[in-house]
Amino acid sequence: MRVLKFGLVLLLWVFAVTAQAGLKFPELTGRVVDSAQLLEPSVRAQLEAQLKAHEQATGEQVVVVTLPDLQGARIEDFGYLLGRHWGIGQKDKNNGALLIVARDDRKLRIEVGYGLEDRLTDAQSSVIINQVITPAFKTGNFSKGISDGVAAMLVVLGGNPLDEPAQVYYSDDEEQGDFAHRHPWLLVFLILLVVTTIMVGQVLGILPSGPVSSGGSSSGNSGGDSSSDDSSSDSEDDFRGGGGSFGGGGSSGSW
Amino acid sequence: MNLRLKQRTGLQVLALMLFTTLLAGCGINNIPTLDEQAKAAWGQVQNQYQRRADLIPNLVETVKGYAQHEQDTLTAVIEARAKATSIQVDVNTLDNPEKLKQFQQAQDQLSGALSRLMVVSERYPDLKANQNFLALQSQLEGTENRIAVARRDFILAVQNYNTEIRTFPGRLWHSLMYSDLPLRPTFEATSPDAEKAPQVKF
Repeated sequence: MRVLKFGLVLLLWVFAVTAQAGLKFPELTGRVVDSAQLLEPSVRAQLEAQLKAHEQATGEQVVVVTLPDLQGARIEDFGYLLGRHWGIGQKDKNNGALLIVARDDRKLRIEVGYGLEDRLTDAQSSVIINQVITPAFKTGNFSKGISDGVAAMLVVLGGNPLDEPAQVYYSDDEEQGDFAHRHPWLLVFLILLVVTTIMVGQVLGILPSGPVSSGGSSSGNSGGDSSSDDSSSDSEDDFRGGGGSFGGGGSSGSW
Repeated sequence: MNLRLKQRTGLQVLALMLFTTLLAGCGINNIPTLDEQAKAAWGQVQNQYQRRADLIPNLVETVKGYAQHEQDTLTAVIEARAKATSIQVDVNTLDNPEKLKQFQQAQDQLSGALSRLMVVSERYPDLKANQNFLALQSQLEGTENRIAVARRDFILAVQNYNTEIRTFPGRLWHSLMYSDLPLRPTFEATSPDAEKAPQVKF
């Protein structure tokens, strides 16, 4: 009897595993994998540069991926399986995060590796999704939603949690401006933060000279515009996952 | 003479090295390795259940402030939590299917009680707008997902371990050397309460 039961469970699992193996994952072509063609090329290049700067400063790998659909899987399952498949994050630290957007399913998710769960918590991820990204997605502005979302993720990863305001989900969306209008100081702060982190790192000699030169970037370029041309070419061929793993942390949403 | 002895010891060492490499290649280490992997995966399952248990007092406290009329539901959650945390299945009792089943039932009961609590809280707009509650809600959601992932990893690890024992050549090693390591029970995928995970949607 027990053997029979056990066999049944095993059989179920063989099915489940083959079902998972049946998922087709896109190729990791860079820090931004835009399979669903949702991003404008300029935004894409800017994100690539931003994420590259972040990895150079902290070693944390953040990847943006857009998918045409989820192939029938739940986005929670797709998220951690894709993260493990690519091995985003350094192997011993598991410090990777994914922003996944599934176009036809109208779902999105921030998938957080074990090593980042203390900063990019479920609550923070949910605030970013519901407050920053979804409002822009509702108006069809994917480029803006994704780039603001990534900016917010990097702010949070920098150790500056966002407010978790009392009324988030039920205030009427029309009245709220977009993220940049409501929090202009936050974007400015983010930009300054990224720039100063990199500059300080370079001055102290922790960082190699990165895409932002230590001299003239205090004028406020986020490292995006200034470095987009040189990074977009080489980041595409040399970016690899570091072998990090995922355990289902993060948050999901839909629009 | 001396030279010959040296040569002989050298040959012996070489033979020993070859022998151990061959043995390792035959999978003599597979069963203990997979056993340890299954145990580690179990640790993760417990870890995530514990995380959920830790979130609950906070959640109950927050809900209590807004929904005093729901005493029954709140009490049910607290009781289910107490019961679930009282049953600990550590790695030594992992081979005990009875205990594993008890553990699973207690956790399922807690899932059910939690899901009723979340349904009830739907009726309180003030509660739904509470910042602490929103944070707790998304954390609970994330924890449920982590539990699901940890359980799947555990089931997969046990599957690998059991498969190794039941197939050649692991079967041979098992009867020769590791007969004290039994086939492991795992979570029953067909448990009647499996679909009762808390639905925390608004």
